[in-house]
Amino acid sequence: METEDSSSENGLLHRKQALYSSLDSCFEIQKEMYRGQQYSQIYFARLHLMRTLLYSLLPNWKPHIHVCTVIGLEEGKECIIVGTLYKHMKLKPSILEEYSKERSATPLVRPHNFMHPDDHLILEDESGRIKVCGDVLLPSVYVTGVVVALHGKETGTGDFWVEDVMEAGIPHQIERPIKSGEDKYVIFVSGLDIGSSTSNPLKFQLLVDHITGHLGDKKEQSIAAKIVRVIIAGNSVEIPRGLLNGQNLGSKDQFTLSEPIKELDIQLTQIAAGIPVDIMPGPNDPANFSLPQQPLHRCLFPSSSAYNTFRSCPNPHLFQLDDVSLLGTSGQNIDDLEKYSDANDKLEFLERTLRWRHVAPTAPNTLGCYPFTDRDPFFVETCPHVYFVGNQEKYETRLIKGAEGQIVRLICIPRFSETGVAVVLNLRNLECHALSFGTEFG
Amino acid sequence: MFSAEGKLFIGFGSSLPLFGCEIRLPHADPNMAEIETLGILDEIQSLVSDKLQVVSYKWLSRNFLVSSNDAKRLLQDFVEKRGTGVEVVYTLSGWLKTDPSVYHIRLVSKPKLTEVKQEFDENCSVQIYSVQACLPKDPAVLWNAEFVQAEELFKQPHEVNNCLRDNRFCGILNSFVKRNAEEANGTTSVLPVKTTGTSGSSGYTLANQSPTIPQPQQKKIQGTSPNVTLQSPNVVKDVKNESKPAENKLKVPQLTVNTKKGETDKNSSGTGGALANMWGRASAKSKAECASAKTNGISNSADAQICAREEIEHESSDDEGQGVNVRRSYNGEVGRKRRVVFDFSDEEDEFKDAVNLASPDPPKKKSMLDSKRSSYSSDIEKSKLNFEEEKEDKPNFKHRKETDRKSKEENLAFGNHNNMNSSSSEKVINQVPAVDTIAKDKTRDAAPNSPKRKKVLKTRIDERGREVTEVVWEGEEETKPESDTTKKADNIPASNNSNRPSAVKKSPAVTANAPLNQVGKTGSKKAGNKDPKQGNILSFFKRV
Repeated sequence: METEDSSSENGLLHRKQALYSSLDSCFEIQKEMYRGQQYSQIYFARLHLMRTLLYSLLPNWKPHIHVCTVIGLEEGKECIIVGTLYKHMKLKPSILEEYSKERSATPLVRPHNFMHPDDHLILEDESGRIKVCGDVLLPSVYVTGVVVALHGKETGTGDFWVEDVMEAGIPHQIERPIKSGEDKYVIFVSGLDIGSSTSNPLKFQLLVDHITGHLGDKKEQSIAAKIVRVIIAGNSVEIPRGLLNGQNLGSKDQFTLSEPIKELDIQLTQIAAGIPVDIMPGPNDPANFSLPQQPLHRCLFPSSSAYNTFRSCPNPHLFQLDDVSLLGTSGQNIDDLEKYSDANDKLEFLERTLRWRHVAPTAPNTLGCYPFTDRDPFFVETCPHVYFVGNQEKYETRLIKGAEGQIVRLICIPRFSETGVAVVLNLRNLECHALSFGTEFG
Repeated sequence: MFSAEGKLFIGFGSSLPLFGCEIRLPHADPNMAEIETLGILDEIQSLVSDKLQVVSYKWLSRNFLVSSNDAKRLLQDFVEKRGTGVEVVYTLSGWLKTDPSVYHIRLVSKPKLTEVKQEFDENCSVQIYSVQACLPKDPAVLWNAEFVQAEELFKQPHEVNNCLRDNRFCGILNSFVKRNAEEANGTTSVLPVKTTGTSGSSGYTLANQSPTIPQPQQKKIQGTSPNVTLQSPNVVKDVKNESKPAENKLKVPQLTVNTKKGETDKNSSGTGGALANMWGRASAKSKAECASAKTNGISNSADAQICAREEIEHESSDDEGQGVNVRRSYNGEVGRKRRVVFDFSDEEDEFKDAVNLASPDPPKKKSMLDSKRSSYSSDIEKSKLNFEEEKEDKPNFKHRKETDRKSKEENLAFGNHNNMNSSSSEKVINQVPAVDTIAKDKTRDAAPNSPKRKKVLKTRIDERGREVTEVVWEGEEETKPESDTTKKADNIPASNNSNRPSAVKKSPAVTANAPLNQVGKTGSKKAGNKDPKQGNILSFFKRV
């Protein structure tokens, strides 16, 4: 293990290192071929994948109940059906409405929640669909795209009365070797929004200075020397979209348009010169719209991409640091869940996606997604140790435990431009704390 | 200007020195240190009072080439000795009392210092941040001078390793950081090791040195020689120079990395269809030329060149998955007899509907082939050759230009009859699926030498509802050898080529001498083909 302790040598500290490996190959779409297909194939892949999984879990759940497909349901007979849930929502906006809004230069208004008391769930597999009723399966909790196993029976009215529901559950987690080790920190930050009117460049500069070891006294710098990686989880720039009106841009406009990216590049250069950094695209970044978002192109970062510490990553991003596996997104999946379902806090959404074993169940229904033909890359194969989401309102974190003893640290990373808060994670014990910056010195 | 042994001091003026050694203020020599400090303090004084600039510690460190910690000490000295009349901003950092899980770093002005300190834990640290003539209303103003300086450093030529780029004045050293100070555009993109566990410093390629050498185990090499001295800024340079020999050592393990990468770079045809690869590559050919015998389908992306370079390395790995080595045949070497095996069976069906997102082939390739065909003779051999080359071109033209497809396919189908003996074509033929309008095309050029032909551009809607524009020959010479097309007859959808009926006439005569005519037909067909192709490529484009 090539780690170095931060003992000072001639008064200078060494930065700690951590073994990094990226597992993002499933999120790349270069190999995919677009043949004009739509989304039936990704749904089928998802259903097939998760149904196989659920069938394997059924014997532990209710071994005596007979399993059948939707078409094979008999009235009054208790059985288990496995399929994809579809939530019929009265207030769900139509695509035409959204299209016309997107065409305008002004950004979309942050959408509200589209739930309605009349929403109901329908279970669908490749043989048919059936409306689901009962108190066990709450429409407010579930969203379209989740694959579950339902135990119940068909009623006289042709609905399926649910007695019990089984989700895929948190996947198996590779255990971390328990060793005392040393503290190594990972910094998560998102929503830098460089170029926007709300972002304060001084705050970000303070963050950069703190991470790279300029700020602070010896003690603080020795703590900063233990930071091994910086993850920037989306929305790093805000391009002035008002300039993009379909016409050719004059040189002055072009300059204004590229200013934020250049500023980001300067800051990233400062970070990359001292510490490995991963940057993920977000909803507002110059990257593709549909998930999985492909890594930001390195031509945007002419200076930072010269460093071997600079890495442009896709969204979602799955990687490993030492023996901790981390998975996270820039926020689109959780924001979409928030629009179509209800929970006490964002962490609950996060936990649900983990229990459903799918990072973005609403893709491709309401969340833009690439029409994969033979796989569903958002399926969570093994349980990560850290599961994060960026661009949220506030910093929240929780440690959840799974049935098999899995331990996951859930993190909501707040928008830095609004809150000035970044998140610090200790890889040794998965402890988290906030790192906040204030510049009101008056 | 002060200079002392072992130290270099470039001061005065706001010009940024490009090179410099880090200044250490040794306390062993207090007199010297004092003199130097005095000079800098004077400088700060003038900047703050006269030029009304915000002097932050960072700005100071970069301007006078001192470490950040020393810069802070200097500012502290300044405040102590000449602090009257200047505003000071401090950074206060520590754990908040109110929320012990938050580590807060805050800027605070001198007057408010004690007050804000209450919010923090006892162990908070206070450090000077900046001095300025007066406190600005907008805190971001503090950042401006620093950013302007950073921008200037940023704009320096890429090869220069200045203090912004190597972070030399911070308090933490990271010897694993490598920066490619050479040609910025030439660097291959960061597509480093995906699966092996490496540290953040790995996986970076220095393309200029040799094509595609990522450095997956760079860290390990470095780890064994952590002898970077921290005193001089040359550290980074040394480390960088080390990287070169290190790379060369790592060639072997890198190949495995490369193959992985090569696989990911492979063409968009996830199913490994050879056809799709070919047509994707065909458009890339004009860029990559013959350098990369097999390029992937990322021809249209900016990474094409980079990937092309990588492809050279990965050819062997790519070939395994393909089974077809069509690319080489495209390089104008159509005259050579070559055995080409096409796996048509699946691809035709799969890729029929595939949306071709690649740019269409350059016209020159077609004309090259056309010229070949123009030298047709009734030689079976030649026909075989032509057949093969046509076959190779088939995927090339597998786009919405129905003309080409049909003409190719007709040749293929025709070759079916011709080259029964030829084993090479047999494989192909057996797999040629039902294609549209084969017979129709077959007939079209049965009478190449007739002067009554006329090229006409016809637009029609084919059976799938697609608008098809094709160049057809009008005139009675069009033949439709029904007997020859018995095999394909079923496959021919209702074609609306008006020339077809006229073609029927000739068929009896043509089929009289089966073998010879078949050859003749091939030849004539080819000749017939050649004319419309040869003549009309340019005219077609001109028209457009």
